[in-house]
Amino acid sequence: MPDIEIKKLCAFYGKAQALSDLDLSASEGEIIAIIGANGAGKSTLLDGIMGLVTCTGSVRVGGDEMLGKSSSATVAKGIGYAPERFNLFPYMSVKANLMVGAHTAREDVQTNLETVYRLFPRLAERKNQETATQSGGERQMVSLGRALMTSPSILLVDEPTIGLAPKVCLEISEILRRLSTEMGLTVVVTEQNANFALSLAERIYVLEGGKITSSGTADELTKDDALAQSYFGTKH
Amino acid sequence: MTQIIIQGLLLSGLYALIAMGFMLIFSIGRVLNLAYGAYLMVGGYVYFWVSQQLGLPQIIGIAAATMMGVIMGLLKHRLIVKPLKGDHVAVEISTLILAVVMQAGVVLVFGDASKILLPIVPGVTQIEGAAVTYNILVAAIISWIIIIGLYVFVRNTYTGRAMQAVSMDEKGAAISGIDPDRVNLITWGISGGLGAVGGVFFASYTQLSPTMWVGPLIISVAIVIVGGIGSIMGTLIVAHIIGFLEVIVVAKLAPELRGVFTMLLIIFVLVLRPQGLFGREEAH
Ligand SMILES: Nc1ncnc2c1ncn2[C@@H]1O[C@H](COP(=O)(O)OP(=O)(O)OP(=O)(O)O)[C@@H](O)[C@H]1O
Ligand SMILES: [Mg+2]
Repeated sequence: MPDIEIKKLCAFYGKAQALSDLDLSASEGEIIAIIGANGAGKSTLLDGIMGLVTCTGSVRVGGDEMLGKSSSATVAKGIGYAPERFNLFPYMSVKANLMVGAHTAREDVQTNLETVYRLFPRLAERKNQETATQSGGERQMVSLGRALMTSPSILLVDEPTIGLAPKVCLEISEILRRLSTEMGLTVVVTEQNANFALSLAERIYVLEGGKITSSGTADELTKDDALAQSYFGTKH
Repeated sequence: MTQIIIQGLLLSGLYALIAMGFMLIFSIGRVLNLAYGAYLMVGGYVYFWVSQQLGLPQIIGIAAATMMGVIMGLLKHRLIVKPLKGDHVAVEISTLILAVVMQAGVVLVFGDASKILLPIVPGVTQIEGAAVTYNILVAAIISWIIIIGLYVFVRNTYTGRAMQAVSMDEKGAAISGIDPDRVNLITWGISGGLGAVGGVFFASYTQLSPTMWVGPLIISVAIVIVGGIGSIMGTLIVAHIIGFLEVIVVAKLAPELRGVFTMLLIIFVLVLRPQGLFGREEAH
């Protein structure tokens, strides 16, 4: 049984439809990537899974239907989210931001905090700094850390490499891989940086204008000439 | 001089307590709760009824007033704020209407004439040669205890941090598993309780009357506008600026001018620094 299974998902902003009949699934411990250009609907998809956008269709997590549930119920069900704009609490310290993430997983707070500091030693060094004064890379770490504090089994990450230096991208990609291999997390990443997605994910979905237009393993997708040209900057 | 400093300190402590409840709602719900002064009024009258008319112990009067404030806050969130979701102007207008309705209710039950609350603790003492009533001294001390308690609560408990989180980034709070609606409800309850208990002390310092909600409302608006959103420290500091301003104006100029400089300060800050002296730039 897939860990997360999405069927016929449609998302709406008022009357405007941003996703149509989207199918997608990921099994436990798998890393999948969704690639798409600006406005393709990547953030809408992740927001929709979290119950932050009006949707129809089905989002099953561990067999339970989550569509129509509140975000807090989704978090309690084991979905952690590191959104595109981070949505950190700017005038709280790094540590306090992480502690907010522990809101629903209080019994795990100590182990989760240790895990986060082990994965991101920089956050341990700067735990008293307000996030308003942090760099983009550091904020990305706090955002991932806060999501991990919810004790997720599925982690949604929206464009983790946006605006980051290549070295930091590598760090982030390494950490996402460790989360999947060492901790068994299912990781769902969206990306415009298709090469980053190729290097990280086992399977990739291509999202265009709110629809999945193709999907497959990295190998399968790079063999498709048209796709390779428009997303991966190569031609076979 | 000592008289001014001591009076200023004591009055400012009380003002800070009064403004806290107003600030919480403004920070978290982003609305000016114009019925806030009515919490103080009702708190004062409930205390008057329980401890002066029924003759029950004062502590029960204070507890009853606080309880009433909490209930009013919770009800207001459920019946008005939540149904009007997101429409700040509508919330503000209805809270103002509510304040007027509550004023009428108080007139109906207790009559038009103002009433004197007996001092919560009678007597006068000398501090550094200045005469100080035990009443304002106790009010200030209890105010400080409540404020420190609130500060510790907000910074160190899950609920307190959730309140801060919702005030800074509602989406960030939601994806951390916080139910913003529940946090709002809790905050309205706390705010009501703070207002009502502040009202007991405020009434014992001034007097009980059906129009007494206006003064503390203006003080609260001033403190929050000048202090800025979302900061207990900012609120505390500005409460002292405004408290001292009033004490100095009353002592050195004319008691009639008591509130005038406070209002001027509001306009001055709105023009020069709309986020308040200690306020934060809104995220995004
Ligand atoms: N709050 C909103 N209200 C109305 N329309 C929206 C809203 N948010 C997104 N949209 C629309 O939905 C579509 C998908 O947007 P979305 O933000 O999901 O794209 P994206 O793939 O995340 O893009 P980007 O790479 O720029 O982040 C776009 O056409 C966008 O204009
Ligand atoms: Mg996006």
